[in-house]
Amino acid sequence: MSYHDTPPTGGPARRRRRSKAVRRITGGLALLFALTALGLAYLTFAPKAQTATAADVDAAQVAAGKQVYDNTCITCHGANLQGVVGRGPSLVGVGEAAVYFQVSSGRMPADANGAQIQPKEPLIKPEDIDSLGAYIQDNGGGPVIPDGNLRNDAEISRGGELYRLNCASCHNFTGQGGALSQGKYAPAMTEATDRQIYGAMLSGPQNMPKFGDGQLTSNEKQAIISFIQNNKATIDPGGYSAGGFGPAPEGLIAFLVGMGAIVAATLWMGSRA
Amino acid sequence: MTGNPNLQVPDEDELRTMSREERAHLGMALDGVELAEYGERYVPGSPADKHAERHVAMWFLLAALFGLIFILVFIFWPAEYEPAYSDRQWIYALYTPLIGLTLGATILLFGLGVVSLAKKIMPHEVAVQQRHVGMSDEVDRQTLAAQVLDTGDKAGIKRRGMLMGSLLAAGGALGVAALVPVLGGLIKNPWAERADSPLWVTPWAPAPDGTKVRMVQIDGTPVKPADMTAGSMMTVFPGVPGGAKASDAAVMLFRLRSDSVVRIRDGQQGFQFGDFYAFSKICTHVGCPVSLYEQQTGRVLCPCHQSQFNVYEGAFPVFGPATRPLPQLPIELDSEGYFVATKDFIEAVGPGFWENGKFPAWYSEPKEASG
Repeated sequence: MSYHDTPPTGGPARRRRRSKAVRRITGGLALLFALTALGLAYLTFAPKAQTATAADVDAAQVAAGKQVYDNTCITCHGANLQGVVGRGPSLVGVGEAAVYFQVSSGRMPADANGAQIQPKEPLIKPEDIDSLGAYIQDNGGGPVIPDGNLRNDAEISRGGELYRLNCASCHNFTGQGGALSQGKYAPAMTEATDRQIYGAMLSGPQNMPKFGDGQLTSNEKQAIISFIQNNKATIDPGGYSAGGFGPAPEGLIAFLVGMGAIVAATLWMGSRA
Repeated sequence: MTGNPNLQVPDEDELRTMSREERAHLGMALDGVELAEYGERYVPGSPADKHAERHVAMWFLLAALFGLIFILVFIFWPAEYEPAYSDRQWIYALYTPLIGLTLGATILLFGLGVVSLAKKIMPHEVAVQQRHVGMSDEVDRQTLAAQVLDTGDKAGIKRRGMLMGSLLAAGGALGVAALVPVLGGLIKNPWAERADSPLWVTPWAPAPDGTKVRMVQIDGTPVKPADMTAGSMMTVFPGVPGGAKASDAAVMLFRLRSDSVVRIRDGQQGFQFGDFYAFSKICTHVGCPVSLYEQQTGRVLCPCHQSQFNVYEGAFPVFGPATRPLPQLPIELDSEGYFVATKDFIEAVGPGFWENGKFPAWYSEPKEASG
């Protein structure tokens, strides 16, 4: 379309004046809109700071946590959470997530240093675990397990996919765990609760790598937990899982029971002939 | 089998006058079998006879019953999948054992019925069969051989050259067909493309226009340094079509703790980005995915044959059958802050092969400041 096709709708000067005003207003509005959108987008995408804010801190709970720490943890982790060489690592920055996983599964306080700290009946009461977590969180921050439901049943198949990619190499495809080097092992997850699995992913206990929220979002972690827990609650179609280790024990059972039955039947028939 | 030469073979009239039992005995006698003892197992109609019949019938009836149950279960059982925590999960879980048990029971009970039929109903007999000692008589052997060869002569095998030739061709083709799956791999020359051979090039190689390949998670999300915390490992794939499926492209991206003492392989200084290191996930032994990462010891374990590689020492093999370190992928950030591969691997990924260059340098040097 050429310039001459459009009939002019007013004097050239007036048109120029109006369009200048309109341009100013629309330009201003566009700038305002862009800035607002940018701000909103920043709010959406900006990572949440992983430090405890002042409102979260309950001074009484922190004091109670310090009491628990001084009674049970201080020998190996030091008076200022700095760790003791040859006994235990620094706890600065490990966060509430690590405290919850280690203490609620009975790994901490540990019986002895070894290839791997063993889980056992927890020694510390649940409310004391919370206080201890608040104390550690207050002194150095770190990852925190979110409150509320930690399952994502809607995305359970995606959870399975992520489990097989990130977890199954060590923890086995049915969550039964497996051996690592020099006496270390990836534990079975038969006893693990939703919160413990979440805490383990966040904090990377012992030789497990960490899976921060940038790597597996909270949603993805919850989908993995749903997959693990549903797996545990599923009845084995054969009636018996044979340890959940797959073809090796299943083949052994098939061989021993099947071949045993055939040999027994053959011997019986021979004895009756 | 030679029959009894002393036996008088009856003529047609005699056969007609014989009873069925006599004819059965005669048939066995002609085959050289003499019945020392033969007859019904029990007196017909006696209580023992009826009891035996009921016993056999019981097995067959049970087999029929289980067969019927199998058919009903197979058709009508609600076999649809029920998820965990559902009240009806056990119904679903029972389906496979039920059809297995019922069909198995049917076959087993039928077999037991046949065995007990043979033992309790079929006539009891003690039979003696005459057999010759050692090899056949000279005359038997000579005549049999003559029969076989004479058949060939009569068919004219010798003069039918086309038939023999086509038979040889068919047999030869069959033999070669059996060998092709074994030798077929030698037909294509993997070195025809020289430096561009697929054995050397992975999808990490920059595009012809120089565009470097991004590292993406399995769902296609590009990876930036802030995504990973210290002490974590992420499996990443090249951000090109088919990258997540390429068998030589899977890479482990590690973020080590900044206080880790790391040694760098000769000539690979600067392949890392800060505390981030990328190593091929394909084991240099037989190509399994190594991914059992011990974040404190820095070891990566291969689940297949227990090879172990030390990430702090340039992914050198420290245990197991693997003999070469995992190839390291040089990485950097692109203009938007996402990880890209600077260039392709500088050595072949995965298990070794004859032409895989000289043995890689094994000594290492301390890490220089980078990133």
